[in-house]
Amino acid sequence: MRLHEYEALDIFEQNRIPVPHRGVASTMHEALQIAGEIGYPVVLKAQVLVGGRGLAGGIKTASTPDELKDMAEELLSAEIKGLPVRKILVCEKAEIAKELYLGITIDGYSGHPVIVVSTEGGVLIEETAKNSPEKIAAIHIDPTFGYYPYLARSLLRMLGLTQQLIGPWSDVIGQLYNIALRYEALIAEINPLVVLPNGGLLAVDAVLEVDDSALSRVRFSLPDRADRIENPLERRGREIGVTYVDLDGDIGIIASGAGLGMASMDIIGQKMKPANFMETGGGITADLLYKCMQLVMMKPDLRAIFINVYGGINPIHEGAKGVARYIAEHNVKIPIVAKALGNRQEETWEIFRAAGVHVVTEPATEKAVEKLYELVGPTR
Amino acid sequence: MSILMDDSTRVIVQGITGRIGSVQTRWMLEYKTRVVGGVTPGKGGTSVEGVPVFDSVAEAVRETGANASVFFVPAAFVLDAFLETIDAGINLIVVVPEHIPVKDVIRMRSYALEKGVFALGPTTPGILVPGKGKMGIMPASLFAPGRVGIISRSGTLSYEFAGILSENNVGQSAVVGMGADPVVLRNLADILELFQDDEDTDAVIVVGEVGGEQEEKAAGFIGRKMTKPVAAYIAGKYSPQGKRMGHAGAIVRGSSGTVDGKHEALRKAGVQVLESPIDVAHWAKKHKLR
Repeated sequence: MRLHEYEALDIFEQNRIPVPHRGVASTMHEALQIAGEIGYPVVLKAQVLVGGRGLAGGIKTASTPDELKDMAEELLSAEIKGLPVRKILVCEKAEIAKELYLGITIDGYSGHPVIVVSTEGGVLIEETAKNSPEKIAAIHIDPTFGYYPYLARSLLRMLGLTQQLIGPWSDVIGQLYNIALRYEALIAEINPLVVLPNGGLLAVDAVLEVDDSALSRVRFSLPDRADRIENPLERRGREIGVTYVDLDGDIGIIASGAGLGMASMDIIGQKMKPANFMETGGGITADLLYKCMQLVMMKPDLRAIFINVYGGINPIHEGAKGVARYIAEHNVKIPIVAKALGNRQEETWEIFRAAGVHVVTEPATEKAVEKLYELVGPTR
Repeated sequence: MSILMDDSTRVIVQGITGRIGSVQTRWMLEYKTRVVGGVTPGKGGTSVEGVPVFDSVAEAVRETGANASVFFVPAAFVLDAFLETIDAGINLIVVVPEHIPVKDVIRMRSYALEKGVFALGPTTPGILVPGKGKMGIMPASLFAPGRVGIISRSGTLSYEFAGILSENNVGQSAVVGMGADPVVLRNLADILELFQDDEDTDAVIVVGEVGGEQEEKAAGFIGRKMTKPVAAYIAGKYSPQGKRMGHAGAIVRGSSGTVDGKHEALRKAGVQVLESPIDVAHWAKKHKLR
């Protein structure tokens, strides 16, 4: 789960990372009041959960109350990369001597946390990584050995820095590493970490993404994670416990397993367009597939539904009952093609067939997609 | 013997008394797997499907001579059970459950590597050796004995590839789910090495997916070490890019992770890239695999 910048800044502050004076506003009047307390100029930052916000016009500087009124109104009625702006962060404007980069993530291949630093922070950090790799340094932390401050100091020395910067910066690295551990972060990042004219550091941005699998044991008070999903169909998917991604086609997909769901999309995508990606994971029940049908059918102008499930850990005959019940109760008219193999497949096919579902019994998904294409033709 | 397990492997099931554990124990026994015991703390002395249940892994090992374990333990208890299992001397562990926190997986991985234990998962369907046995949840009807190895990041796609091969009279020497999580207990290249060294395997299929850098790193291994033919399918060509935030991952991984990048790396290593799963049938025919 990705936290909003203002939430992450609060956590950083509680953990002694220097952050700017700031406040969160949902209305122009709130923004005006916060700016009055901080003093002008202030930076207004749209709170949306998407990267590249600055380049998309989501960050503005106001020097006077009049400027702030216009900018706050504009931001609060804007959409950034398709996401509505519900809140803005009003921040003191820091004097910038230099912008640094600090990020902590998990290297999936080695299974180690990795700390990344650069003397060239800011929006073009990924370009720097490509074009001037000597300005980036990274260190893997052996999880059985753990983190010690000297690791941060030797990392910063790799960038050729002096002790004057290494001291305060290695402190921030240690604090961010503790946050990453305690909040089970997949990403913890400060970009930029600003060097002030007096040599002090200030985290003027904050990224924190918490491992979804760890949410039940990470202690913090935040609204339910489903509330953070803007798309109502995707939010509903989260509520019923499946992964749903809204797409712009007209063929609904229900698959058990992400790999199978992606392969189904790839094959359907050759001649038709998927309306969604959906994968159920290993928890299929009659009730779950009933809800999956309900969710997929919420999409307007659907032409067909493609079901691709395997009975390994999943009782697919139970799932078929849920689909059949939905069809009967809602008098579904569009074609449904199902490929269902594995444990209790014959029973599953019988239930599907009795409900009017086109059953394909061959193992290759391509064969089932051919059947689908035969029934509905190409997406216009 | 086949890779990792065969019909002499003595398997215990952890979480055997749970709803999924007990059902899957029945399927494993029906596939003639030597399931010698189960573990659920507090349920020692009972039995499931005729298999004795023990309170601890150490006790199960002492009483049954078990040397392998498959997990159906709730995600929150997996780390603890995993460390216990390694300390009890088990040297092959299959971790089926999904939604295990990455922090726990990191700890599990480093301890298993340190102790020389081979572990698969998390979020894996396990391993199935046709005609010899299975540890995990793979549905037996789709598999047939033969000489092609399959390694898959996705569970259900491993069934799909085995099913297509079996339908075309091409059997499998072993089918291995490496796990779908961002950090897995063993990397792809380690499993490829087992197949390269296995005299019962003539060729290997890698079923990967978009994201991470397992396939790119494995391509390096294939180019250097593999003499057997390798084919690969990467799912996710039309998958929408996630709303990524934060640069640290991109900086660490560079251009890795895209389907095109994986295809390029694999082709350079001499791997036959399959554009669609069904193409695996033609590939098998071309190499006269069976």
